[in-house]
Amino acid sequence: MRPPKSALTVWTYLGRYRGPIAIGIAMLVATNALSLSIPHFQGEMVDALKGDHPARSVPGLVWLTVALAAGFAVTRVASRILIFNAARAAEFDLRSDLFGHLLRLEPAFYRKHPTGDTMSRLTNDVQTVRAMWGAGVLNLVNTPLFYLFALVMMLQVDPLLTLWAVLPYPTIVVVGRIFGRRIYTNSREVQARLGGMSNQLQEDLGGIHVIKTYGLEDLRRKSFLASSLRLLDANMGLARVRGQLVPVLGALSSFGTVIVLWVGGHGVIRHDISLGQFTAFLGYLGMMVWPTVALGWMLSLLQRGKASWSRIEDLLRQEPGIADGDGPALADVRGDVEIRDLHVEIDGRPILDGVSLRLAPGTVTAIVGRTGSGKSTLVDALCRLIEVPPGTVFLDGRDIRSLPLAALRGAIGYAPQEAFLFSTAIADNVAMGYGAGSALPRARAEELERAGAATSSMRVEAIAEGSGPDTRIRHAADAAGLGRDLAAMPDGFATVVGERGITLSGGQRQRVALARALASAPRVLLLDDSLSSVDAETERIILERLKDVMRDRTSVLISHRVAAVKGADQIAVVDAGRIVECGTHDQLLAKGGLYADLYASQLDPDELAARVHRAEELHLAEGAVGGGAR
Amino acid sequence: MTTATATAPARGPVAEQVLGKAYDLRLMQRLWRFVRPHWRLLLLTAFLTPCTIGFQLAQPYLLKLGVAHHLEVGRAEGLERIVLAYLALVALQGVSSFFEQVSLQLLGQRSMHDLRLAIYDHVLRQRAAFFDRMPVGRLMTRMTNDIESLNEMFASGVVTLFADFGKMVAIVVIMLFVDVPMTLMMFLAFPFLFLLINYARNAMRRSFRAIRVRLAAMNAFVQEHLSGIRVVQLFRRETVALREYNELNAGHRDAYLESIRADAAMYAGVEAIAALAFAGIVGWVAYSLGASKADGELASTIVMFLALINQFFAPVKDLSAKYAVMQGAMAAMERIVELLDTDEPDAPEATAAPARPALPPAPGTDALVDFQDVHFAYGAEPVLRGISLEVRRGSTVAVVGATGSGKSTLIKLLTRLYETQSGAIRIGGRDVRELPVAELRRRVTVVSQDVFLFRGTVADNVALGVDVDPRTLEEAVRRVGADRCLVRRLAPDGQGTTGPTRMLDVEVSERGNNFSSGEKQLLAFARALVRDPEILILDEATAHVDPEAEELIERGVAELMRGRTTLVIAHRLSTIRNADLIVVMDHGKIVERGTHDELVAADGVYAALERTFRRAG
Repeated sequence: MRPPKSALTVWTYLGRYRGPIAIGIAMLVATNALSLSIPHFQGEMVDALKGDHPARSVPGLVWLTVALAAGFAVTRVASRILIFNAARAAEFDLRSDLFGHLLRLEPAFYRKHPTGDTMSRLTNDVQTVRAMWGAGVLNLVNTPLFYLFALVMMLQVDPLLTLWAVLPYPTIVVVGRIFGRRIYTNSREVQARLGGMSNQLQEDLGGIHVIKTYGLEDLRRKSFLASSLRLLDANMGLARVRGQLVPVLGALSSFGTVIVLWVGGHGVIRHDISLGQFTAFLGYLGMMVWPTVALGWMLSLLQRGKASWSRIEDLLRQEPGIADGDGPALADVRGDVEIRDLHVEIDGRPILDGVSLRLAPGTVTAIVGRTGSGKSTLVDALCRLIEVPPGTVFLDGRDIRSLPLAALRGAIGYAPQEAFLFSTAIADNVAMGYGAGSALPRARAEELERAGAATSSMRVEAIAEGSGPDTRIRHAADAAGLGRDLAAMPDGFATVVGERGITLSGGQRQRVALARALASAPRVLLLDDSLSSVDAETERIILERLKDVMRDRTSVLISHRVAAVKGADQIAVVDAGRIVECGTHDQLLAKGGLYADLYASQLDPDELAARVHRAEELHLAEGAVGGGAR
Repeated sequence: MTTATATAPARGPVAEQVLGKAYDLRLMQRLWRFVRPHWRLLLLTAFLTPCTIGFQLAQPYLLKLGVAHHLEVGRAEGLERIVLAYLALVALQGVSSFFEQVSLQLLGQRSMHDLRLAIYDHVLRQRAAFFDRMPVGRLMTRMTNDIESLNEMFASGVVTLFADFGKMVAIVVIMLFVDVPMTLMMFLAFPFLFLLINYARNAMRRSFRAIRVRLAAMNAFVQEHLSGIRVVQLFRRETVALREYNELNAGHRDAYLESIRADAAMYAGVEAIAALAFAGIVGWVAYSLGASKADGELASTIVMFLALINQFFAPVKDLSAKYAVMQGAMAAMERIVELLDTDEPDAPEATAAPARPALPPAPGTDALVDFQDVHFAYGAEPVLRGISLEVRRGSTVAVVGATGSGKSTLIKLLTRLYETQSGAIRIGGRDVRELPVAELRRRVTVVSQDVFLFRGTVADNVALGVDVDPRTLEEAVRRVGADRCLVRRLAPDGQGTTGPTRMLDVEVSERGNNFSSGEKQLLAFARALVRDPEILILDEATAHVDPEAEELIERGVAELMRGRTTLVIAHRLSTIRNADLIVVMDHGKIVERGTHDELVAADGVYAALERTFRRAG
């Protein structure tokens, strides 16, 4: 479906619809011919009324005009619909390719390129390009065609008069160019000042706490007022140029009329041309005004379209940083993971600095270490969310670079610390683990249906209605400790979570993400601090239940909590991109190294709970130091 | 000419409720408040618009004169006067139209400038909880894109519509004046025109509404998938996501079909109807003449009618584009009004009495800051559960506890970023809710752990609205030890062309990105020192910095706290050790309090935490 990149040009997508566009252009030719023949017959009507040239009768001319007008209308409608629809269809293809392409780009790309900018290319730039494809193409064909026909018709009436009439037009071209440059400069200025104002706005909204606590409202307002005024000035500069353009172009076109009035008027008086011909001539000139004014507008449309296209093309030409493996998928994954001397750099900084680790099937490996020590990067490397060098990470003895990405990631279930949920039902979010579920925003689809604007393709289908959710969803949710939370929600599994799962608590979000990872029934289970927002007691219960799930899988557990990692088969301590210690809890404690330090500094929750309890009792017994305690 | 381009960035669902209306009286009244102060410009525009139309419409009339008095009768002399007069009309029309455009734009720009400031002021007045809920992007859109949509209405929408309407009325009046039967013949075209406009209007309303909703849904879908790209890829949803996206994509494409049809029908139909109207007039003239011929007068009238008919129908042709602009503007105004009507004022003065009557201040204490049984919950989640704490004048109180124990909330309540739900906080014996918020925030200065620097210079950021001389600023910078990092940024002596020569002139880029977090801390200390607050609130940064910076910061903090009443959320052992009182918080309660030595001796939570600090420090 996607065109080869070498052949990609601004017209590639529209080119697929060259059939309808060709017909549309033919219709344009017809409609212009018909449209320009009308003034001719209107002129004849005037002459016929006066009895100057009784070539045709007045009623005959009237009916002829009616027929021409009808034909004109039909061809005009057909041409616009054909061309605009082709542009819409091409826009559909472009959006589809662009989004499909974006989904293949690795997370590192999105770290470097702000989502806002990428979004703006997929929304604003696509719209600008489509405007160029539709209105741009239509006018690009229509305007020269119109000029050509008008010229032919005028030449037929009187070649010399035609020459006089088009005399101002070269000036229009020159004036158009000058104004084009001025408008461009002024638009740039407006954009720059708008950007400046937006930046300040962003700064103020981002630093709102500082503004409030330091009482900076007046200071910042003054500065915002200045930005807004600067924008106003730039806008007025642009408005003045635009305000001059239309009258100037209009006046230049009117000069043609003035010349015709003078030269042609004398011609009529001398009986060189008839009054009817004179009328038709004025009609043609009048019809040339609008395309002339539109020409400037169309040229800017083309310029903007090309600029936008180049931004889109940049995206389309962006090669995914992580290529699909070309080897066969594994027939049956055992889940034997091996990492050999893995080095990973991000932006020139070494994040993993020679990590070697074996994860045997059916074992639990805990990874501990400070924030920024490289734990999460290690997990990313296992799923190839970040590129790894060849010969460093193996699954069942195969280099993961040779495995198809889908096969590799299909074998892995991953629950991240930042639980990302889609704004859809909880059941859908969990079902995504095994490739089912829909991310189509149900709430919005319902809203649409209420607005009466839904099409069959957007019908709401409730996954959790009737038969209830898939048993896989239920089991996964139970294992993730969601049972009680779901029971408390009126809609249970069908509860639609807000954007990014905002309607759930942090702990609930993490557990839904955990359920999603479990639902995929993975051979390798990666829990990246995925219960950090769950309270210690619940975490313990969940981990207890997960023991069953983990028994026949390869599991990796990253956690800051000692209790969670204590029971692991091996604990790897990561520091500054290296594994500095590896062993069981008891071994590492005995060793008295970094792990022992971490253990001592991170109080065991059991111990902490006991201390807090004791302190509270003490506190009450003392009768509250500050007074007012209950 | 254009089909509707609905540029709707991803918005919340609320924003999509109001759709399709091109005119809404309620919204127009709200808008009017911002236009009214500029009534002079409105008046000028209202005066110039008919002038432009008049100059334009006089042109066909001159044409008729020329035909009737010169061309028809074969009189060449005097034709030059007609030509010159025509030329003058063209020039006048141009001048009038230019000033009309400029005054109209000025009206729009000034009104929108006022509206933008009104939104800005309104937003800045909101309390902190408002910003927790409202994404920055959405607020930005209100003050940029939505204002632009309204500007567009001024540039090419509503006023032009009124002008067009006035012009059409004027044309009909002129026609009636010149020839009644011919004008009546043209009226025969009106039912067709009416039907056409009505069809197009309805079709476009439906279509634009669907387009907006679907575009928003599609953009939200993309936004969501790009933010969650890791999840998408990990769970191999690329194919499914693309399929689902294309469902939305197709819905969006199809939503346009109706408006494309209506736009095309409008564009072509109007031209055709104009041609038919003229044919009708000629037909009527031929019928009424019977066998006789038209004289010069009649012929010239017909020529003039032809010109007038073309001018009459021209504005109708691109009605659809104007309609789209109006709808966009109404939707934008609706969203702005919604924002302006969401009012959660920040720290209103002397609000209702505290829910639970606070106990009278303990007599005989000189507590400068006094928390009394303070409760607070974010939603249903309790964060503070009965905090009582006194900070004596000139003393330092350190608050320690795990993340989420409620330490930061104490600060937010004290500065009234959030309101205490029960209990009371007093400063010098007065409830903070009774203090004017400006006074409160002048007496209390917060130095938070993530320092926010504004774009500008070091001087701007250190002074931050306080009117002090540069020497005081430099002094403050030196005292906290921020001078070293600034000196490094100065231009080397003798070649001062490449950079600033004074410390205070060093540039600060957006969010202070050109400073390390340690350096930003130091600048924040200098900032607080300049304010010389009665009460200092310090939220120490947890981030690890290199040992050198650590030492600098420690010294800076010490300088800042010297002889000052300080409430510090402490992460550094040195700060905690030197505090006059240490309170340990856990789950919204104070579980221990005392001096360092007392608490270590008690061997409670603090004693365990202290071991952590010792190791980290």
